[in-house]
Amino acid sequence: MSTVAVSLHEHVTAAVASVNDPEYPDVSIADLGLVESVSVSESGDVATVGLIPTFSGCPALDMIASDVEQAVLTLTDVDRCVVEWLPGPVWTNARLTATARTTLADEFTVVLRRKDGGLRCPICGSDAVADQSLAGPTRCRSIAWCDSCRNPVEVMR
Amino acid sequence: MHTLADAPTAGRTWSDLDDFQAFIDGGGMVEPGDDMPDEYRQEVFRFIEFHANSELMGGLTERDWIPHAPGMRLKQVFLAKTQDEIGHAHLLYMVAADMGIKTRTEMLEELFDGRSRFHNVFHYQAVSWADQVAIAFLVDAAAFNSQRAVFAECTYGPYKRVLKRIVSEEGFHMRHGEEMLLRLATGTETQRQMFQESLTRWWWPAVHLFGPDSPPGDADPLIRWKIKSQRNEVLRQAYVQKYVPLLHGYGFTIPDDDLHQDADGQWQPGDIDWEPLKATMRNGGPDSARRIASAAANWSDTAWVREALEQ
Repeated sequence: MSTVAVSLHEHVTAAVASVNDPEYPDVSIADLGLVESVSVSESGDVATVGLIPTFSGCPALDMIASDVEQAVLTLTDVDRCVVEWLPGPVWTNARLTATARTTLADEFTVVLRRKDGGLRCPICGSDAVADQSLAGPTRCRSIAWCDSCRNPVEVMR
Repeated sequence: MHTLADAPTAGRTWSDLDDFQAFIDGGGMVEPGDDMPDEYRQEVFRFIEFHANSELMGGLTERDWIPHAPGMRLKQVFLAKTQDEIGHAHLLYMVAADMGIKTRTEMLEELFDGRSRFHNVFHYQAVSWADQVAIAFLVDAAAFNSQRAVFAECTYGPYKRVLKRIVSEEGFHMRHGEEMLLRLATGTETQRQMFQESLTRWWWPAVHLFGPDSPPGDADPLIRWKIKSQRNEVLRQAYVQKYVPLLHGYGFTIPDDDLHQDADGQWQPGDIDWEPLKATMRNGGPDSARRIASAAANWSDTAWVREALEQ
């Protein structure tokens, strides 16, 4: 692979990472772990981006794909961008980067369940967080309540 | 760095309303453990209860349209929007109930008995798919703008944290609204005609959503206590400025014969008739009775689920 191709690959990867999730406007889809593969054709003019959805019924898929396509097509060297939703690997919250976890906790008060099944309140740090409802406002979240600071907390499933 | 997840300092007290006002004016955020003035507690509670009721009534409407949405993808969108709205209602009722004025069950029962209030737009019937598009394009945008203005300040911590997510999700609904409108606006003459009829039905309810002018000065306690960051008339005017040119751009007619541009180029609506809004606030809107009865039936039909969960 030539140096030029490597650098174009980096540019495409960066363009894809510049796309934020429609429902978490401060979080990149790369940090959410949606980007599985990025490739650039030998001639350099076709970029192919492989994405995986958090949940297969997610209503944001078309929007994300179109945002990715637009972001990649801003690169003058790319004529065409193919976005594919891959059937696997299946998304799990282990794919979230540390950046995504921090932003979700600090700005959206959304947390991940600990390995022991417990929850830590992102607001006050208490362990007194109890599940309330398996279904939250989105497919990927459930609702809990912190008894210590008395705030609802959402849990990324 | 200051974040929305900063640990609340619980249990503060204020000597009087002036002391509390100074705290608010200094950028203070009120938390559930604080000994907040009763007036503040009552006003904020009423505001959150109204918001929660509106999310619930809105979610039930979205639900009704899942079977009628044209095509699998739009059904998926409406399914997701329904889940969003009901989820928002759930979060808001939790925050409201915690304020100790009414329990969640009391709030719901009052709503289903027609003794509570919810957004004016949910007192009208959506009669066609284009109505749903008009609601998504016009009403969701109005709701988004008004919620974003609450989020901008919002001195009650738990409400502000929930609003962060609600506003993000409503922004996503708006994009769906724009996409659905574009489809009708660039469609056949019949599709354009359908949207025009819906625009004629929904324009005024969307404008009414912002409410009549706020009381002069800082007479509105919600402005004084920085729950609302903007006056009603300012938000309404900004909305009209944005949506009039957009709708004209698509070649649609806004149902306001006196709409005009002033010397500064600002779009000015004709005299606004507030009677329809007042009727909805008495639950006397064109579709209030049917909507409330349908929500009440939904509540009683699902009693067995709640009973099963308690066992």
